[in-house]
Amino acid sequence: MTQVLAVWAVELVLFALVVAALLAERPLALGATIGGIAALAVIARTSARLWAWVTAAFRAHRAAALVGAAVLALALPFFLRASPYWTFVATLALVYVTIGQGLNLQIGTTGVINLAGAAFAGLGGYTVGLLTVGLGVTPWLAFLIGPLVAVVVGALLFVPILKVRGHYLALVTIAFGFIFNILMNNLEFTGGPQGIKNIPTLRLFGYAFTTAPELFGMKLPYHANFYFAALAMAALVTWLTWRLYNSWTGLTLNTVRDDEIAAKCSGVSVARYKLLAFSIGNFSIGLGGAFYAVMVGFVSPPDFDFGYSLVMVSIIILGGLDSIPGIVLGASLLIPLPERFRFLHEYRLLLYGAAIVLMLLFRPRGLWPATVRRYGLREPAASFAPEGGRR
Amino acid sequence: MPPLEVVLQQAFNGLMLGVMYALVAVGFTLFFGVLDVIHFSHGDIFMLGAFTGLSLTFLWVAVGLGSPAVALPLTFLGAILATGLIGVLTGRGCVKPLAKAPPLMTLLATLSLGLVIREAVLIFYPRGADPKPFPALLPQGLFEVGGVVIRYENLIILAIGGAAMVLVDLIIKRTRIGASIRAVAQDAEAAQMMGVDLDRTVDFTFFLGAGLAAVAGILNGLYYSEIHFIMGIMAGVIGFSAAAVGGLGNVYGAILGGFLFGVLQTLAAAFIPRGSEFRDVVAFAVVMIFMVLKPTGILGEKPIERV
Repeated sequence: MTQVLAVWAVELVLFALVVAALLAERPLALGATIGGIAALAVIARTSARLWAWVTAAFRAHRAAALVGAAVLALALPFFLRASPYWTFVATLALVYVTIGQGLNLQIGTTGVINLAGAAFAGLGGYTVGLLTVGLGVTPWLAFLIGPLVAVVVGALLFVPILKVRGHYLALVTIAFGFIFNILMNNLEFTGGPQGIKNIPTLRLFGYAFTTAPELFGMKLPYHANFYFAALAMAALVTWLTWRLYNSWTGLTLNTVRDDEIAAKCSGVSVARYKLLAFSIGNFSIGLGGAFYAVMVGFVSPPDFDFGYSLVMVSIIILGGLDSIPGIVLGASLLIPLPERFRFLHEYRLLLYGAAIVLMLLFRPRGLWPATVRRYGLREPAASFAPEGGRR
Repeated sequence: MPPLEVVLQQAFNGLMLGVMYALVAVGFTLFFGVLDVIHFSHGDIFMLGAFTGLSLTFLWVAVGLGSPAVALPLTFLGAILATGLIGVLTGRGCVKPLAKAPPLMTLLATLSLGLVIREAVLIFYPRGADPKPFPALLPQGLFEVGGVVIRYENLIILAIGGAAMVLVDLIIKRTRIGASIRAVAQDAEAAQMMGVDLDRTVDFTFFLGAGLAAVAGILNGLYYSEIHFIMGIMAGVIGFSAAAVGGLGNVYGAILGGFLFGVLQTLAAAFIPRGSEFRDVVAFAVVMIFMVLKPTGILGEKPIERV
């Protein structure tokens, strides 16, 4: 029981620090927040025994940890009422979790490099825009068709993808991303550079998602409905990806990534599994794009250009390739951080790029690296356990 | 069907673009040859070369060396040296340490490095967000052959680009350092056992590639009379496409790919309705088709699957 309480206490402290880090503006509050984060980092780095005890507690009480995290995630908008913009950023981070899980299934798990993530998200978003504004389809139906369009276009692109490898594969997807963006910019029916405006929002029993909700007598920020919807979407996608990753299919996908020839020799149809992973991934990415379209109510070419594909790949590499919790961490860090550092104005992107280069040089496996798969062993096998120290 | 003169005129314009693309593509292919990596910030090195060249032209005017005949060679020389050194720095700092990592890591690292270079020019170059006019250092004027208008400056641009390519070919084929580049490209370990200094070879390759990008950048400025800090993105993607279509690691393939891409773009602009907007779509679509038919490029080696 003490362990469960400890888990919740740790989560609560982290949550408080996150909220403080987002909202602190005055020097005193800012200083206290930075001090708190620094103190926590020092404790985690220096006290190996405490760290081991806490990680063991988290591992032993995973269900309690998840419940605690869910409660805190649901409570987040209540604490962000002071600055409603942050609810929007948090929602965006959850959209990127959805996209990141899809992209990670392609790149991290299966080894199909996809540098056109923004284009697939754009396919989802533009489909929603075209169907609702152009043809008057109800938003919910369009919201479901959007990801499917991303899957279908991805399947068409699959012929060149299966043929080429490595750097050439990167080129094919980059070329596709550019083609998508140029087409959206110049075609008449997609609205050209202006994009599609006034996309109708989602409604549930006549209740529009854009109304600011009131819960427990508190008026929540404008985007809170979308935040809760995105939380449900991201959680569902993450859970499904987790199930897929831990199934035989997930193991097969890893095999395809690690050694295609060995996989073929073991009777794995490489083409079929690559197509499977690519399609499921594109569904998630398209879903994220479709959600973005109904949330913002507006899509235009710059929302889906190459730079955003780069952001998506950064999230999965910094979080940890093939690591599902890592993707959540990566999106929760990389999306809000540049917004937090808005006061740096023009230096923001420069530092962002430099930070990614440094991360890749000094921590190439990501912040939360993927672990070795364990089957049937409650404890890591002796040969896998690192010598001494943290288990 | 447009008349023949128009086709020829477009083909000539395509040749002009092709020279610049080819110079950038040769850099991509050289880096791939020695380290098996794609150095994605190369497009931004190209942009940096153009800005270095522009700054140098102001410097020469300021110190009284304003006459084009003196300023032009000095600009090229200075830009090649400065950009080449920055190329070596990027190679040492960002590309070589990650050469053994999975391709995706180098890809992301160099893409991010490109972002850093781009933003640095935007912030630190005076009024970096605006397009910068590039001084016309080449003699103006034109003549006509069979309905095709040819400007003197364009001929000189072609000549400089061609000379740079021949020079690179000579360096790679005839010099000692060129021999070590070829040796490392074939087998880095075996080359080291034969006494080839790997670090020096890699440094020189980055110097050579970045220097060529600087030449391409200045030629680009002379051709369009304008440079802009975001021009490196498209140049990088096109240069990489050209190198890949030609076959990564093959210098002649890169040159061929560069010209192919340039001619394709201008012909698409001429033949297709509203082609100037969709020329890149056509070019990239052809690249994708090429990749399906020849997955390792026109002059690339056939891949051997080893277990």
